[in-house]
Amino acid sequence: MDFVQVQNLCKNYPDTALGEFKALDNVSFVAKAGEVFGLLGPNGAGKTTALRILATILRPSSGSVRIYNFDVSEQADLVRHSIGFVSNNTAIYDRMSAWELVEYFGRLYALPADRLYPRMEKIFRTLQMEEFRDCPGAKMSTGMKQKVSIARALIHDPPVLIFDEASLGLDVVVARALQSIVMDLRDQGKCIIYSTHIMREVERLCDHVAIIYKGKLIDTGTLEELADRHEQNDFEELFFQLLTKGDKGHFHTKPPIGLGMRTLNAPTFAQGSAP
Amino acid sequence: MNWSHVKLIFHREVRDQLRDRRTMFTICILPLLLYPLMGMVMMQVAQFHREQHVSIGIFGNENWPSDSPLILESSDPSQIRWKTLTVDDAIGATLAQFHSVQAQTNSAVKNKSTQSYVVDGKAAEKLLRQVHCDAVIWVPPGYHNSISDNPLVILSNQRWERSQLAIRLLAEKLEGWHLSWIRTQLAWTELGTALVDPLAIRQLDVSPPEVKRALVWTKILPFVMLIWALTGAFYPAIDLCAGEKERGTLETLLCSPARRKEIVWGKLLTIMCFSVGTALLNLASMHTTTSIVMTQFSQLGATDMVASLGPLPLHSMGWLILLVIPISAMFSALALAVASLARSTKEGQYYLMPLLLVGMPLVMLPMIPGATLSPGTSVIPVTGAVLLSRALIDGEYGLALLHLPTVIAVTLFCCFLSKRWAIRQFESESVMFRDSERSSVAQWIRNFWRQREDTPTSNESIFCGLLILVSLFYGRLSMSGMPLSWTSVVQSTLFIQVGIILAPALIMATMLTRSVRKALRLHRPRPLEMLAAASLAVCLHPTYLAFAAAVGNEYKLGEQTTSMLMQFDSIVSSTPIWQVLLMLALIPAICEELVFRGFLFAGLQRNGGHLRAILVTAAFFGLSHGVLQQTITASVMGVMIGWIAYRSGGVASTIAFHATHNSISMILASCSSRGIHSPHWLSWAIEHSDGHLAYTSTWFTLSVGIAITLIAWFATRGFALSKPRTSIGMNNLREQRVTLSS
Repeated sequence: MDFVQVQNLCKNYPDTALGEFKALDNVSFVAKAGEVFGLLGPNGAGKTTALRILATILRPSSGSVRIYNFDVSEQADLVRHSIGFVSNNTAIYDRMSAWELVEYFGRLYALPADRLYPRMEKIFRTLQMEEFRDCPGAKMSTGMKQKVSIARALIHDPPVLIFDEASLGLDVVVARALQSIVMDLRDQGKCIIYSTHIMREVERLCDHVAIIYKGKLIDTGTLEELADRHEQNDFEELFFQLLTKGDKGHFHTKPPIGLGMRTLNAPTFAQGSAP
Repeated sequence: MNWSHVKLIFHREVRDQLRDRRTMFTICILPLLLYPLMGMVMMQVAQFHREQHVSIGIFGNENWPSDSPLILESSDPSQIRWKTLTVDDAIGATLAQFHSVQAQTNSAVKNKSTQSYVVDGKAAEKLLRQVHCDAVIWVPPGYHNSISDNPLVILSNQRWERSQLAIRLLAEKLEGWHLSWIRTQLAWTELGTALVDPLAIRQLDVSPPEVKRALVWTKILPFVMLIWALTGAFYPAIDLCAGEKERGTLETLLCSPARRKEIVWGKLLTIMCFSVGTALLNLASMHTTTSIVMTQFSQLGATDMVASLGPLPLHSMGWLILLVIPISAMFSALALAVASLARSTKEGQYYLMPLLLVGMPLVMLPMIPGATLSPGTSVIPVTGAVLLSRALIDGEYGLALLHLPTVIAVTLFCCFLSKRWAIRQFESESVMFRDSERSSVAQWIRNFWRQREDTPTSNESIFCGLLILVSLFYGRLSMSGMPLSWTSVVQSTLFIQVGIILAPALIMATMLTRSVRKALRLHRPRPLEMLAAASLAVCLHPTYLAFAAAVGNEYKLGEQTTSMLMQFDSIVSSTPIWQVLLMLALIPAICEELVFRGFLFAGLQRNGGHLRAILVTAAFFGLSHGVLQQTITASVMGVMIGWIAYRSGGVASTIAFHATHNSISMILASCSSRGIHSPHWLSWAIEHSDGHLAYTSTWFTLSVGIAITLIAWFATRGFALSKPRTSIGMNNLREQRVTLSS
C-alpha cells in the first residue's frame, strides 16, 4: 500500500536577491508501508523542504502530496495524526523532562489517559529511556534528546514516520541504536521516510531511495536498480557520479512514479554489501 | 478551534516560563525587590536632604541695622550656616567690582531688598571658593542708615545646586526680614501694619483626603503599570517565539495536531498572563512599599508628603486591574507578532525595541498636564484607557461612563488587529522559516528588472507610502507659510500633488512592476459604478461635514492655522470657480487616488490582504494631510474610499468619489465666502445659516438613507475585487469651516 505519494511537487521561495528560488522542481516518488524510503541529496538539495511539506509545516507551491491517502493541503489535520516527524534538530524543550514532553504531545494527539500512559511506559522501556525520564532537556546528551524526539514522534503510533537527518551529530553507538529502532519500525509495517547524506546508513537501512539535487529528482529506485543502471556497486561513488551528472544536466529521466516498487523485505544492495 | 489544544499549550508555556529563572527574576522577583530597595534609598535620601545645610557668608554684618538684625540663630532655618566675614586684601579686588556693579544698576534695584548680579565670573567663583561659602551677601557701608539707597549684593554660583538652595533660603529669609522691617516702620505711623497684609485669605480644600491622596497616584500608577505590562509581555514573547525557533521546538509543534491559530492563542494567553501578572505584582509591591514608607515619613513629621502621597485607595487598585487586562492583551498580541519575525532571542530584542518606542508616547500622553478624558482622547489606543481609569479612580463616574463604549471599542479593535496580525505571522512561511538574509545590493540590482511582477509587493507599497510622508514633511517645511496668491496656490498644489505624491508612485510603478496599469489599478471606467460612487460622495458629504465639525470642536485649530485658513479663503473666493475645482478638487483626487488606492492598495492587497490594504492606505492617506483634524477626518474617509476601491477593483470609481467630494466642499465654501445663497430649487437641501451655506436636516436624514442604499449596492455588486480610492486635498481645512445644521 502506498503510504506516501508525492507527485510533481514544486516549492518556490521568494528570495530578495534571486527573486524566486525553486527549492523543489517537479519531484515525484512513492513510499510504501513496511519500507524505509531514503531521501538523499547533498546539503541544500531540497530534502528538508520536501520533508517539511510532507509534515504539513510548509505548503506545496504546486503538485500533490498524499500521506496515508490524506492530502497535505486539504486534510492537514488528518495528515498530522498520521505522521511522526523527527528532525536533525532534536527539538527538545530545555525545561521539560522526557516524560513531560512525551506526555504533552500525547495529549495534543488527544490520546486518552488509559491509552497514553501504558504506551508511554512501553516506548520508554523499548527505547531504554527510563533512566532519564525525569531529566530536564537541558541536561540530556544529544543521544538522549534524539531518543526523546523519537518517543515523541511515536507516541500516537503513526503509520508514517519522517526522519530528517536524524543521525546528525550522534555518536556511533547511538547512531546504531537509531538504525535499530528504524528497522524495528519498518518491521512493524510502518512507512519510514529517511533523509540522510551518510551513505553507510543508506546501505544499511533503505529499501528504496530517491536522490534529489538542486531541487530536482535525479534518480530513484532500489539500491540494486541504481547499481545496475549506473554500473557502480559502491553506493557512495554512485551518489557522487549522479551529482556530477546533475551538475552537467544529465539527469536520469525515467518517470519516478511506479519506479522501484520493490518487494517488501526483499534483499537490498545495502544488505548485500554491508560489512 | 480546538480549545483543549489552546489549554494544553497555555499550561505548558506557563509551566515552562515559571521554570525559567531569568524570566522569573525579571517578571516576578524584580518587582518584589525593586520597590523595597527604592523605598530604602528614598528614606536615606530624604534623611540626607534633611541634614543638608548651606553656608552663607556675610560681609559687612556691622552695617546691618542693629535694631533688627539679620542673623537670628534661634529663628533661622536650620539649614543655614552663617559665616561672618571680614574684608581683607585678598578679596578686596573682587569687592571693588561690587561697587562698580552697584553704580551701574543702582536705579534698577533701588526698591528691591535683594538682587543677584553677575560680576566677573571667575573672580566671583574664586571668592566663593576662598571663603568656602555657597552664597555671599555684602552689606555696603551706611546700609543701616538708608537701606533703600544701598542695595544689598548677593553673590552666588547658579551652577552649584547648593548655591541655588542657598539663594532660595536667603531670599525667604530676607523676605521675612523685609516684611518685619516694614511692619516696624509702619508701627510708627498712623497707617498701621494692615497695609502689609491687606488681603486675608483662608484656603479650603474640599476634596476628600483619600481622593487627594489618589491624585498623584492616578498619574504615576497607570504609567508604571503599563510600562511593566509591556515589559512583562516582552520577554515571554521573545522566548515563546524567537526562542522556540532557535531551539527548533517550534517546528515540532507546527506539525502537531495543534493548528497555527491554536498555537497563537496558547502563546498569547501565556504572554498576557505574565504581562498582567508582572503589572499587578509591581502594583502590589509598590502599594505595600509606599504604605510602609509613608508611615515612616508620617512618624518623621512629613505630613504634607503623606497627605499627597499616602497609600493608594483600594478602590483605585480595582480600576487599575481592570485597565491592565485589555491593555496587556493588546501589548501581548503585538509583542507576539513582532517576536515571531525574529529568528533568535537576540534578534527578538532588536525587533521589540521599536515596539517599546511606539508604545511609550501613548503611555506618556496621559501624563501631560491637563490631559483629560474626552471624545478626542478616548479614541487614542492606550491613552484613552489610561484616562478612563484615571476618571474612575477620581470618582468621575459620569464622565467615565460617557466614554466607556468608545474606549472599549477602540481597545478591542486594537486587540483584534494585533491578534490577527500575530496569527498571520504564524501562518506565513516566509516569517516562520526565514533564512538568514544576505544583503547583496549588487545581486538585488541585477535581479531588479527581471523579477518584476504585475503589481508591487507590500513592502514596496509601504516604502512608497513612507517616502511620500517624509517628502511631504520636508516639502511643506520648504514652503514658507501659506500661499499669498492664487498662482502660488497652484504652484504649491502641483508641487505637492504631482511632485511629491504622484511622482514616487509613478516611478516605482514603472521601475518595480511589469504593468503600470495593474500597479496603479487602472481599469476601464464603468459609468454606472462611477455614477454610484459620485452619488455616494454627495450623500455622505453631510455626514462627513458633521463629523469634521465634531472633530474641529474636539481639536480646536490654533490661531495661526485659523488665520492662514482665512487668508486661503480670501484667495479662493477671488478665483474663478472652475479653476478652484480643477486645482483643488480634480487634480488632488486623481493624484491621491492613483497613489493611495492605486499603487499602495495594489501592493498591500496581495495575498488577500484586503482589510490590511483598506486600513493601511487610509492611515497613509490621513497622515498625508498635515493637520491633525484633517488626518482624522481623511483617515475615516479613507476607510470608506478604500472599501469602494476593494469592491470596484480599480481607481476610476474612487476618483469619481473623491473628486465629487472635494468639489462639493469647494463649492459650498466658495459660495459661502462670496455670499451666494442657494437657489430656490435647492432650498430643501441647502440653507443659508449664520453667513454660511449648510445642509438642512431634511437632506441630512435623506442622505444617510440613500448612502446606506448605495453602500449596500456596492456590497452586493460583483465587480472584480481590486480597486482604487480617493484623497481629500487642501480644501479639507476649508470644509471644516462650512457649518452644518442638522
